[in-house]
Amino acid sequence: MGTDEAILEHVRDGKAEPTIRFYRWKPSAVSIGTFQSMEKEVNTARCRELGVNYIRRITGGGAVYHDLNGEVTYSVIAPESLFPRGIRESYAFICDWIISGLKTLGIEASFAPINDILVQGKKISGNAQTRKQGVLLQHGTVLYSTDVKRMFSLLNVSAEKISDKMIKSVEERVTSVSKYSSASIEETYEALMKGFTKGKEYEQGSLSGEEESRASELARTVYATDAWNFSR
Amino acid sequence: MKSFAEQKVVGGKLVSVKLEYGRKIKSIQILGDFFLHPEEALPRIEKALVGTSPRAKKDEISGKIAKVLAMNNAELIGVTPDAIAETIRMAAEAKK
Repeated sequence: MGTDEAILEHVRDGKAEPTIRFYRWKPSAVSIGTFQSMEKEVNTARCRELGVNYIRRITGGGAVYHDLNGEVTYSVIAPESLFPRGIRESYAFICDWIISGLKTLGIEASFAPINDILVQGKKISGNAQTRKQGVLLQHGTVLYSTDVKRMFSLLNVSAEKISDKMIKSVEERVTSVSKYSSASIEETYEALMKGFTKGKEYEQGSLSGEEESRASELARTVYATDAWNFSR
Repeated sequence: MKSFAEQKVVGGKLVSVKLEYGRKIKSIQILGDFFLHPEEALPRIEKALVGTSPRAKKDEISGKIAKVLAMNNAELIGVTPDAIAETIRMAAEAKK
């Protein structure tokens, strides 16, 4: 999270190019939306028991389990002017890159407003966006092979949330790449990268020293603190 | 009194409210998986609701929320001022 924000600041200040970032979480972690309550959403005792981190994002949306071997996380950080002005339209715009990436794996996915991507009616990707000082940051997850039982043992899923979908089991709400493709997680990342970079000029790179140092500072002073993570 | 209520907005997101109140709201936290741009508008909405009766008419509560949204040029996605107002009233009813 600190890295995403550090890049955002550098893009804002003209010190970094528009950036697309792919990453995985080590150790695995649960992230919650900026307006959610950590206590209400996350079984923090179970997380500690399993060595799973928990963190509040700067973006809205719901809780996500970032399983080290079960999902790929992405971030898109670029000037707002490069995207449709409307928030809803810009979700569709970026989610189309994910859909395109999944397509190269032979997976037909579709955008489900506000911020989800579905395969055969089940969620395979969730996305969240913020805009700060002229910069758009959207990050999201693409589920590769999530251990759904483990995921729901870490989250306190509200019965209210699933009631209107008339689904008996929360496990029936999500799916993953491995259910439709034999691609490895690395191949999934490659496919996503193709989808995200299609039609764009790009170069692969790494964080600048300045970005890394700011990311560490943000991790230490914000994202690793109870004051931030338990602020709601 | 302290109270809590939540609801899933049809076709939208989950919104919940943590309330501390007597005749008027003393403190309030609006929680959920909705989106609000800019995010900084939420504490301003919560502040604007302090001092309001949690049993006030829905329009009165949602009007205050809408006013803060307009003042901050903010956009609420996945939940509406009406749904937040309803949830506040539900929280007050829950402890009746």
